[in-house]
Amino acid sequence: MNKFFDLRFVIGAFFLIVGILLLIYSFFNETVAHAAVNRWSAIFFIVFAVVMILLSFDKKPEDKL
Amino acid sequence: MNLHGIDYSIIGIYFLFVLGIGFLLKKRIKTADDFLMSGRNIPLWITSLAFISANLGAQEVLGMAANGAKYGLYTAHFYWLGAVFAMVFLGLFMMPFYYGSKARSVPEYLKFRFDEKTRTFNAFTFAAMTIFSSGISLYALAMLMQVILGWDFNVSIWVAAGIVLAYTFLGGLTSAVYNEVLQFFLIVLGIAPLVYIGMQQAGGLEGILANVDNAKLHLWKGMGSAATNPMGTDAFSMIFGLGFVLAFGYWCTDFLVVQRAMISHNLNDARRTPIIAALPKIFMPLIVIVPGIILLALQKQFSGFELPLNVNGQVDYNMTLPLLLSKLYPSGILGVGITALIASFMSGMAGNVTAFNTVFTFDIYQTHIRPNAGEKHYLNVGKATTVVGILLSILTAYVARGFNSIMDLLQLVFGFVNAPLFATFLLGMFWKKSTANGAFWGLLSGTGAAALTYSLTVAEGKGGSIANLHTFYSGTSQAFNIAWIAFIVCFIVTALISFFTEKKPEKELVGLVYSLTPRQQDKNRIWYKNPLWIAVIVLVITLVLNIIFY
Repeated sequence: MNKFFDLRFVIGAFFLIVGILLLIYSFFNETVAHAAVNRWSAIFFIVFAVVMILLSFDKKPEDKL
Repeated sequence: MNLHGIDYSIIGIYFLFVLGIGFLLKKRIKTADDFLMSGRNIPLWITSLAFISANLGAQEVLGMAANGAKYGLYTAHFYWLGAVFAMVFLGLFMMPFYYGSKARSVPEYLKFRFDEKTRTFNAFTFAAMTIFSSGISLYALAMLMQVILGWDFNVSIWVAAGIVLAYTFLGGLTSAVYNEVLQFFLIVLGIAPLVYIGMQQAGGLEGILANVDNAKLHLWKGMGSAATNPMGTDAFSMIFGLGFVLAFGYWCTDFLVVQRAMISHNLNDARRTPIIAALPKIFMPLIVIVPGIILLALQKQFSGFELPLNVNGQVDYNMTLPLLLSKLYPSGILGVGITALIASFMSGMAGNVTAFNTVFTFDIYQTHIRPNAGEKHYLNVGKATTVVGILLSILTAYVARGFNSIMDLLQLVFGFVNAPLFATFLLGMFWKKSTANGAFWGLLSGTGAAALTYSLTVAEGKGGSIANLHTFYSGTSQAFNIAWIAFIVCFIVTALISFFTEKKPEKELVGLVYSLTPRQQDKNRIWYKNPLWIAVIVLVITLVLNIIFY
């Protein structure tokens, strides 16, 4: 439960969900250009989310910048 | 604009997370200090991002994109001349007094330094300003939802207000601050792809240079005269009016932002909060101003990028960002972009409401209505004030509906309140001989001078209710000039009255005035823990950007 109090985990969880949704949706886009925009955005969101979630396992967030 | 199921899903997920943060933090709130001051226990990276996020409201996100289209790169002066220098000054020189005095709010510092009447004057004007500002955010959100999504105005107002109320009521200031950080990432990551796609569409940097008026691609060129630059302002008004008075007045004295630094763990963190916040602030023009410039390039090359007209028949620059979202974003990422806009409005509203409930509870209720009550009582008052603040914001939003120039009025109110207040703080913190009576009458005179200047000058058809002694090229130029006049009047009146009125004993001013307080020694050798070193880095980057984009 404590993990949910870490804001980095919450932010990571949000972008992970949105990223996965966008990635799945990109396979159903009508045009190649639209699919590319959604897919690359999704990949960027997922990478960002994973970084935030990994950072949330650090025990002392107050010592970080 | 046509939203699909995926877009609504993203908006819905965002609302769930925002409310979830409130529920998760609910158990942490036990005292009024937890609710209104976050128990002064928030980590540095969160206070820093919340510091700039509290300002990322409707005016910042929509307004700066609009100014980007209207004035071009000159708009970056709000960052590279104003905000960054003011944030560094706050961290290095003013935060030791705010934090060190143990004041819970900016008005409370005024009580310690001057007296109760100065504090009460500032508390009332600030409380009124926050409600006004919160209501405008709500009104703008509802209008946006109505225009671009076709949602009902009333439903938009009550749903947005209900969500902000829920998470601020449950988790207090901590909830508002946590949501501000989530909103910061959402705004940056939600709008950044728009800049990339827009640049590609416009032909990259070469396309921008070839299709945008050269006068809108500089920071300082043509600043010798108000007639030779798109903003219609001269170098003196820009540097003194915006760069010094308005920017320092807002970033150094407005409790809405200063509160985010005051809830830090310790003084070092409180000092580093605005300075670290200045680093991402330097690059915010890329997200909020560049889209406006991209629109200019797209308008030259393609049809369909024309901005609509507002009710007065003028080009509605506020639609710059919504237009780009609708034209360049496909469904999916469009949901993220729209959620980012909603987040910016809710962030602006929550920031104002949490600042309002702190000032009302500590500076008005505890001081004038019921002093010496129990902790539980003030917690309940803080929560009740949150509800009242939201209800007053809704009322203001409906009032705003009847006045199409209320956004301009809001800008002026900031100039009326913050510009003279900065003179009061400058003298209060750095001149031990300034007195309570000097500060009080100086503040009144400065605000009066601002009102008089507005009544005697005209810009874009506004002002001049008494007479028209001067016509400014733009409303922005008028606001800059009003600000520096209000500052000068407040400064002179405060100094003059201070010479003839009773001063506080020096022993009561220790920790409140620069010359009577031991200097802060920044001895930490690790650069990122030393406010001075971070400040040097921030200032060097800012100066280099000013030179590059001369």
